[in-house]
Amino acid sequence: MAHLWTLLLLKQSLTMILEDAVKKATDVRQKVCEWHSPEELKELLDLELRDSGEPEARILERCRDAIRYSVKTTHPHFFNQLYAGLEPYSLVASFITDALKPSLYTYEMSPVFTLMENAVLRKLIQTVGWEEGGDGLFNAGGSMSNMYALNLARYRHFPEIKELGNSAAPRLAVFTSQECHYSISKAAALMGIGTKNVFVVPSDKRGKMTPSALEEQIESVKSEGGVPFMVNATAGTTVLGAFDPIDEIADICEKNKLWLHVDACWGGAVLMSNKHKLLMKGIHRVDSVSWNPHKMLMACLQCSAFLVRDKTHLLQRCHSARASYLFQQDKFYDLSYDTGDKSVQCSRKPDAFKFWLMWKALGTSELEQRVDRALTMARYLADEITKREGFRLVMEPEYANVCFWYIPPSLRDLPDGPEFQEKLHNVAPVVKERMMKKGSMMVGYQPHRGQANFFRMVVISPQVSRQDMDFVLDEIHSLGKDL
Amino acid sequence: MEPTTGDLTDPLINHADGQLFLHEAFKIIVEEVLCKGTDVKEKVCEWREPEELARLLDLELREKGEPQENLLQRVRDVAKYSIKTSHPRFFNQQFAGVDYHSLAGRFLSEALNTNLFTYEVAPVFVLMEAEVLRGLRALVGWTEGDGLFCPGGSTSNMYAMNLARYRLYPEVKSQGLRSLPQLTVFTSPESHYSVKKGAAFMGFGMDNVILVKVDDGGRMIPEDLDEKIELSKSQGAVPFLVSCTSGTTVQGAFDPLDLIADVCDKHKLWLHVDAAWGGSVLFSKKHSHLMKGVHRANSVAWNPHKMLVAGLQCSVLLLKDTTDLLKKCHCANATYLFQQDKFYDVNLDIGDKSVQCSRKVDCLKLWLMWKAVGSAGLEQRVDKAFLHARYVVDQMKKREGFQLLGDPQFVNVCFWFIPPSLRGKEKNADYQNKLAKVAPVIKERMMKQGTMMVGYQPLGDRVNFFRITILSPLVSQKDMDFFLDEIERLGNDL
Repeated sequence: MAHLWTLLLLKQSLTMILEDAVKKATDVRQKVCEWHSPEELKELLDLELRDSGEPEARILERCRDAIRYSVKTTHPHFFNQLYAGLEPYSLVASFITDALKPSLYTYEMSPVFTLMENAVLRKLIQTVGWEEGGDGLFNAGGSMSNMYALNLARYRHFPEIKELGNSAAPRLAVFTSQECHYSISKAAALMGIGTKNVFVVPSDKRGKMTPSALEEQIESVKSEGGVPFMVNATAGTTVLGAFDPIDEIADICEKNKLWLHVDACWGGAVLMSNKHKLLMKGIHRVDSVSWNPHKMLMACLQCSAFLVRDKTHLLQRCHSARASYLFQQDKFYDLSYDTGDKSVQCSRKPDAFKFWLMWKALGTSELEQRVDRALTMARYLADEITKREGFRLVMEPEYANVCFWYIPPSLRDLPDGPEFQEKLHNVAPVVKERMMKKGSMMVGYQPHRGQANFFRMVVISPQVSRQDMDFVLDEIHSLGKDL
Repeated sequence: MEPTTGDLTDPLINHADGQLFLHEAFKIIVEEVLCKGTDVKEKVCEWREPEELARLLDLELREKGEPQENLLQRVRDVAKYSIKTSHPRFFNQQFAGVDYHSLAGRFLSEALNTNLFTYEVAPVFVLMEAEVLRGLRALVGWTEGDGLFCPGGSTSNMYAMNLARYRLYPEVKSQGLRSLPQLTVFTSPESHYSVKKGAAFMGFGMDNVILVKVDDGGRMIPEDLDEKIELSKSQGAVPFLVSCTSGTTVQGAFDPLDLIADVCDKHKLWLHVDAAWGGSVLFSKKHSHLMKGVHRANSVAWNPHKMLVAGLQCSVLLLKDTTDLLKKCHCANATYLFQQDKFYDVNLDIGDKSVQCSRKVDCLKLWLMWKAVGSAGLEQRVDKAFLHARYVVDQMKKREGFQLLGDPQFVNVCFWFIPPSLRGKEKNADYQNKLAKVAPVIKERMMKQGTMMVGYQPLGDRVNFFRITILSPLVSQKDMDFFLDEIERLGNDL
């Protein structure tokens, strides 16, 4: 029974959430963040957990504080990560799931969400182009989806590893590009493969894996007695937004009988766009794909799909433990709907629903429009950077990552060399500090391949417009011109 | 149509529409899920066969979007056909009930959409997570330590195995397992299956999870653990971790931690306590003795989304270690996230402690609830659950037809319902077979009628029995009586 006063608390907190965490947070006139040092913030938040409780009014204040001092990741000027913006339909879906608290291991526990996950996976598989169909599930993040690929590839090559462990197999080797996401390395460590057995293939100047180098490395590993079993290609690398040449890599994998996984966590969204899907040409040939709708398509965190081109229940066979307290064989409904044993997790949230509801609301055509617009916006930004003095592109963007240096006036006449590079390297961190303390925007920077720190602008949200791009460049100049 | 530069001048989306939808959808969620979903006069579930449900939901994803009225109807449908896990008669899993403070915390976490890898993007929650972990560690008996929120207990258990392996053989991170001797893990057959899944995933192999005998109540036998470790060593393997359970999944048994810790100390093994289910007894002065000795462990997994009603997901791994083992074991030092030249203390960038990259904020729901009710309030909740379980057990002993598996240690009450037609017929050859068929039929009936949900399962050589787990702060004695009456009503004619 829901007591009146607890419902009142809930209604008040929902009103506050709508007002402060949704409306204000997406308002360009408000700050992106209110910077405080950790010590200050600790004091402001009064985090300590005590024996006695507090009145409702105080709890509501605490909610307000949590909102106030949090970074507004839905703000039009938040460009720091590979996700941004607010998707209200997805948010509603999140609220529903939080209210219902379902767990996705059996049909009896989550009838609606089991079917929804199926429907979304089927649609994604269709989009990838596997005519014969496939399998998959939603995971707690892209890192986990990538791990599943490694596990399935390993299991397909050497199914005895499940019972006997890695020592039952020869030395396994996986290949990935130098621009790939670090989850491949973390996966190799966690899964007992060893980071040493992740072979890093060089990329070209545009951040794309070099297929001939891949081929060489495979031969080299074989000649040393290693057993290549998987290649991880990236569709949309983290920093540069580069797309590995899938068709050529697929040729090499077919020849060597290797599992080809495509980490499309970031770049998968191009498949929604008739104009840009060519970036992932050849995708229908691969064995597995990771794709995070919580990135470019703006579903709420977490929302990560793992797709596998398999109809032999590989996912289930690889992961099953057949716990009799969950997966009883004498249930009164069709047991193939119990998906829990496909996962390494037990309780699993119905993340696919966040994507389903927004897809229903928007339709494929609007999702396509958003992707096209983001990339056109990135193109606009790149053009502006080229036109402006003091801004220099790291590379012409292929996707939604626009990487560039800001060169303050004082450095513009310096010849390129170690002194210039060192001074340039110190610019971005200071500009970043200033923008955060001012709260005007958030843009990430990083060093990369020995180059001086550069900014990485990420264009995602359909709520940003041309003026916001202009603003970013103006603001960087304003914050950094005295350096 | 390709967007032109001119089109880039205005935002593509209309916030007002989105906010209106949020507002309207909230109303439905409050009405359908929270009010009706916790009302005993309403059903726990609205059963439909999968094909029928697929038709009702109209799952297909199409080219065009839909108007808001359609979408709001869809919200209603989702609520209608989903299981009401907060219903006072939902007893199927190790989570139930609702706490409105943690619910507010969950909604807030979703709306902020924060990612917990660095201080710069998650200042509030980096600090908050640290404080919650400290509070939980204090209950374990540790004044220092480390830890993390994980996307579930299975992940927490895996992390513990990874850390134990890394501590013993740090080179495994780069070299992999092949260069090492055979490693073995010890756990009981009543432990959670994530230990086995984890072992397979991490390259140890399920066969190298050695099962230790349990007593009649489902508790690990320390003497057998010692023997099995000796045996494993004599076979040339290297035992490295014992995963014992505080609150087993089916019977709710608590392994004797002090005695097991003695064995681990002797053999120098990492002791991990999977307290995902039972950890919350640590809030209770009356019942924390069930985990006596837990401070001697190296790691503890604990899921506040279970007994503390924090809501999925809320799962922690607590560590006694103070040498930054977690970070060293998991780090990859990605330069695009963990730049060393940031303008604040980069130790606050905790992302590299995790194997995940993006990580949701799961601490707010627990923190807000804890602030609202205090440790005392959480203690009350735990104590009350024990009282309910005791009440049910006492009632069952008085009622004909209810046969308990044993005397429960926790709040899992496992029992057979023996319909009148089978009573007194224990000696019959086909008694066990017939008994095994009772629970599935009663389960089907309760689900189709939507009156309640209780789980059943076989265990070892014991045929299907019910397991009722009592934890929700919303249940009262009436609900316990209803449950007993309903089992009888549904099963009397079998």
